[in-house]
Amino acid sequence: MKTTIKKGKTDFKLAMVLLFPSLFLLLLLVAYPMFSNIQISFFHLPINPRLDSTFIGLENYINILSDIEFLKSLGLTVLYTALAVGGSTVLGLLVAIFFNRPFMFRKTARSLIILSYVTPSISLIFAWKYMFNNSYGIVNFLGGDVFHLFKQAPLWFDNPVSSFILVVIFAIWRYFPYAFISFLAILQTIDSSLYEAAEIDGASAWQKFKIVTLPAIMPVLITVITLRSIWLFYMFTDVYLLTNKVDILGIYLYKTAFAFNDLGQAASISVILFIILFIVIIAARKRVNFNGNG
Amino acid sequence: MAMASSKKTKMTKKVAFYATLILLMVVTLFPFLIMLMTAFKSSGEAVSTSPTIFPKEWTFQHFQDIFNPVVFPYLIYFKNSLIVALTASVLAVTIGIFGAYALSKLKFMGKTTINASFYTVYMFSGILLVVPLFKIISGLGLYDTRTSLIITMIVQTLPTAIFMLKSYFDTIPDDLEEAAMIDGLNRIQIILYIIIPLSISGIISVFVYSFMVAWNDYLFASIFISNSENFTLPIGLNALFSTPDYVWGRMMAASLVTALPVVIMYAISEHFIKGNLTEGGVKG
Repeated sequence: MKTTIKKGKTDFKLAMVLLFPSLFLLLLLVAYPMFSNIQISFFHLPINPRLDSTFIGLENYINILSDIEFLKSLGLTVLYTALAVGGSTVLGLLVAIFFNRPFMFRKTARSLIILSYVTPSISLIFAWKYMFNNSYGIVNFLGGDVFHLFKQAPLWFDNPVSSFILVVIFAIWRYFPYAFISFLAILQTIDSSLYEAAEIDGASAWQKFKIVTLPAIMPVLITVITLRSIWLFYMFTDVYLLTNKVDILGIYLYKTAFAFNDLGQAASISVILFIILFIVIIAARKRVNFNGNG
Repeated sequence: MAMASSKKTKMTKKVAFYATLILLMVVTLFPFLIMLMTAFKSSGEAVSTSPTIFPKEWTFQHFQDIFNPVVFPYLIYFKNSLIVALTASVLAVTIGIFGAYALSKLKFMGKTTINASFYTVYMFSGILLVVPLFKIISGLGLYDTRTSLIITMIVQTLPTAIFMLKSYFDTIPDDLEEAAMIDGLNRIQIILYIIIPLSISGIISVFVYSFMVAWNDYLFASIFISNSENFTLPIGLNALFSTPDYVWGRMMAASLVTALPVVIMYAISEHFIKGNLTEGGVKG
């Protein structure tokens, strides 16, 4: 009994010792940069650290918010996120329902489905670029010469519209396994007697989904949609490596900072995106279940 | 009669099911098939305008090329990636274990706040911090070093590592610890001899997660690294791709070998661990 009473007093010190490396790193490389971002956003900052920066007040914000390219990029990003989140969630759910039964090679098939999710982006991107090559890609060959789906193939990754469609499909293909795994886990916990009861009541497949499945998977559905939306909204790597025709916000920010060397402007974009992120997190906090630990 | 027709519908259903399954697998795995087959095609065949899926003539030349430092600097990039990913994931797991233990098992003031802020950071994306991080890394004199990447990768994966480890530690009953305390073990000994062995599968999945994130990173490597001696695989391969003399078969062979470590790790952890590897979530 003594130890339990004593424990309450000494825990704080020990906790701080154990948490020190984590807190130190996160304060230095997440919290401090966050505030540093706000500060930089009020300056004109040369990329060379030896040169002085000049205070310019809200100029970066005024510039960015009146820049039509930024607003276009914002719209494009919202569309990209909505389509890719919607697509990957629906596909993930459909495949999970499809897998939610015993069949031959189920485990192998499940592992293979997740392959696109675990493989590094750089490997996947080379395969896609090769498949969609304008002169010798297999897609042009199959679509044009074999199945005659199109007469004149679009310039895939060299055309803004076809690139946009392709990066959305790429995101759906790459990220649906995450939804699939999450849904499959929760589907397996649903009591099959609920379906049998609904069947006796004469429910159709759609009604069974609406009455039994949907309420049961709701917490997972909300979590999957929220997290994937946040992550895709800030997507950079996949799209940047696939094409230079789709400037979503992550790429717009990256180019502002490291192609046009305008760090102050880039910082002001980061701050605006932070504000958007915080609104989403606060709105989502009550609803998103972080594996039951929230 | 009725029985025969029901048997027939059952059969039709089964055929339809497996047909759908095969279609699904072919569509999702098609890019992997192309990657694999192109790696074995000759350079001429890879750019043929009437391509076949399987090579007409199989060649191992591309695999020999990527492991030949004279032809292709692949091994340098591989080594750099390995150093960064291994160091970062070992450190993230180690630091994470102690942090997660405190958040899971100790009672102290400010715990809820720390917990909440870790969850918030978990949702963050690296792209939001590129500008100040670039300044900080340059300021610390770490520009163009592997250390810059190791540190950033630890920070990128740590919140998730703590969050995943904490949920594993939460399942370990407190009685076990109390019994160990009565036996005279201190907290550190409890972590080493009780908590770690009991959550080894969780620790492995956290390690694999961190390794995957670090192995996959393009963003920070492209900002922090300028000398090709220090290139990791993602930036190194992409830089080669931008030069006019890339060879498709070689790029595909490099892509395959690049994917191999994480796919093997994933397969092993899938086989031995019940836990869910996707908990962490690949952010991209």
